[in-house]
Amino acid sequence: MTDAGFPEAILVLDADVEVEPIDGEAGNAIGRAAASAGDDASKKALRDQLRRTLSKKESLSDVTSRRNRRGNKSLDIQETYYAADVFPPRQYFVLTDAGKPVFTSRTIEHNADDLASTMGIMQALISVFLDEGDKLRCINAGGTRISFLIRSPLYYACVSSWGEPESVTRSHLEYLHLQVLSIVTMTQLRRIFERRTNFDLGRLLGGAEVLIHSLLDRVEVDPAMSTSSLQCLKLDPVVRARAANALVPSGKMKASDILYIILVAQGRVITLVRPKKHSIHPADLHILMNTAHSPSIINSSASASWLPLCLPKFNSSGFVNTFVTYLQPEDDISDRQSAGKISEEVDNQKSVDPASSRKASTTSVRSGVGLLCVTGSGDFEMIRSWCDTVSKRLDTDGTLAAITQAISGGSTEYSVSDLSIPGLRHFIYKSRAHVQITAPVYEEPYDNITERRRLITLYQTLHDGIHAKSGQDLPLKLQYIRTEKESVMGWITQPFEIYITLSHWLPKSAAVNAANAVSRWVKKEEARLFLRDAPVF
Amino acid sequence: MADAASGSAADKSVQVKLVLLGEAAVGKSSVVLRFVSNEFQANKEPTIGAAFLTQKCRLEDRVLRYEIWDTAGQERFHSLAPMYYRNAQAAVVVYDVTKATSLEKAKTWVKELQRQANPNIVIALAGNKVDLVQPSPAAGSSASESEDEADDATATPGEAPAEASDAENLRQVPREEAQAYAEEAGLLFFETSAKTGEGVVEVFTEIAKKIPLEHILASSRGAAGRPGAAGRSASQDVSLDENQSKGKDACNC
Repeated sequence: MTDAGFPEAILVLDADVEVEPIDGEAGNAIGRAAASAGDDASKKALRDQLRRTLSKKESLSDVTSRRNRRGNKSLDIQETYYAADVFPPRQYFVLTDAGKPVFTSRTIEHNADDLASTMGIMQALISVFLDEGDKLRCINAGGTRISFLIRSPLYYACVSSWGEPESVTRSHLEYLHLQVLSIVTMTQLRRIFERRTNFDLGRLLGGAEVLIHSLLDRVEVDPAMSTSSLQCLKLDPVVRARAANALVPSGKMKASDILYIILVAQGRVITLVRPKKHSIHPADLHILMNTAHSPSIINSSASASWLPLCLPKFNSSGFVNTFVTYLQPEDDISDRQSAGKISEEVDNQKSVDPASSRKASTTSVRSGVGLLCVTGSGDFEMIRSWCDTVSKRLDTDGTLAAITQAISGGSTEYSVSDLSIPGLRHFIYKSRAHVQITAPVYEEPYDNITERRRLITLYQTLHDGIHAKSGQDLPLKLQYIRTEKESVMGWITQPFEIYITLSHWLPKSAAVNAANAVSRWVKKEEARLFLRDAPVF
Repeated sequence: MADAASGSAADKSVQVKLVLLGEAAVGKSSVVLRFVSNEFQANKEPTIGAAFLTQKCRLEDRVLRYEIWDTAGQERFHSLAPMYYRNAQAAVVVYDVTKATSLEKAKTWVKELQRQANPNIVIALAGNKVDLVQPSPAAGSSASESEDEADDATATPGEAPAEASDAENLRQVPREEAQAYAEEAGLLFFETSAKTGEGVVEVFTEIAKKIPLEHILASSRGAAGRPGAAGRSASQDVSLDENQSKGKDACNC
């Protein structure tokens, strides 16, 4: 329950997810030290040995076995991403502080023993440092980095050879943690592990892997997640306002503990209605969107779903219920009967989510419009009948049709060529006041997944630089990087942050001019691009 | 499937709230998908929370509208179950014939329902995945319930899960055992295959026959629901049209 003081802001203007203090839970170290008895001298030797070697060599062939061979080159960010024409899938691990595996993104080609020993090593490494009140943040091994996040009773790790800044994978791990908390609250976790330190959490999370996989696919490519903001659907402001008005609850509904009512399409928010006293945290919104777009729901022929979930930034100790239903104008109903067809359709359209690497979680974005109602109440019959009323209203007044037309006509997305700025290839613009971003679709050459990953990694490097997220001394105001293929620039000002991609021969001064031109265009289009206001109740 | 559209038909149809319960991965969602859309998806993702579906069935003289809560089977959702069965008039408790522990779980669900749900609730026990323990998918036949289960020991189709490939080993719950339990506990009993469709529609039609429709009508509409006069005994003769004409295809109307 935050932000009672800012009834105007839809989104919490907040320190980014990944900015959480790295030394957040120093207290845990003490507990660990007591728990693990052992030969202090040998531990100290091990610790020193680790300190000396971890950042230089690949000492853990087990952990890093599948990475690309890059010799013993020490990590050089520039070099890595110039050279990285291949992006092997990142590997994510979740384990308990007792070293029990909880989740891995690894595929079955690795056997279970291998996994258990990998996790065992991770747990050992982390605890060796915790014993000293220190925290293992990452291991650089050639071109591979293994980063760790300690959120006792859980440990998270990511193995990546993409050459991204350290803060990027840490932020992935933070999101991973939030997704886990959306399934098992922090309070439940603590209670479980107080009783049984050896608890097999993996079993409790059974069936939720699909949510975690889709989150990981999302977090790697979604610029809104990496900038802790929201990307809403580009739409005629009149239609948006009409939709918002239809969502405002009345009468009994109003009194019934409604938290947020959100209309979504193409995986983006159309509008969001909320009580005056609650803003929404972008991270909660991403967790919510990921859950509501889970294949379990998207591919289901159910007319609605009712999901208990915890929104950790809102309240990490309890669950709220989310009613999810996908609306479709009457004449589209036949389409929705066959889930198989839907996913094909989605692949063909310019999907918001770029192709995902993991088969298990093809996070397809249904062309339909989704209505999400988050509530503290357990009265789904009432919520359901109210949502039925809302969808009828949206249908009869033509709002739904207007939205679906906008989507099928392609006007919910735009091309960088609409801006007519010479040399401009792509950009991400973040309005700091709105806590929202806008970006054109990825076009040639970035329609190719490898190129897109390379560009995203460049953006992440800029973002990391201008926010000094990986322990830099000072944040940069502006950073310009020229690669063989393009030049990119990140720039932060009072009203906005911008990341632009230009033809590689353009000098920095041209980049600044282009950025200014983008900002003028965004200003002009602001009403379509951003969710500027929505009714509160 | 003209069903979904009609709000107006509501005044003619009897709404029956039905909940599906059972261990994870026994095929609850697949059974419902077969019933509602007459489809089957291999490798369905696990349900999160609960999914809501509706399906109409026409009885001779009236329309039944099933409002189905298909619940997630994972243990962490167990505590939410009362929310779904509290007002339910029917429950389908599903187990997997190739997994003995799933019947044990089903029994605990039945106990919980009998203790805490609406006392008139009609409970059906459904042993799903029979296609795995049959020599060949019996897609055409609709007689499975009455058929004697001579096939306990027959060969299995290629789809056998992982380790065991022997049909004998695959079936872990003998039909007789489950049936005996069902009789003792006063449940309807079926063996089903969401994959082939076997037995699925029957589950819902038999429930429809057993449900005290008049009682529901009376309680939900007061006196207005009365004129139909056909009491509970009359409804026993009734069968769903589609079930008779099209076999197991569906009782979609």
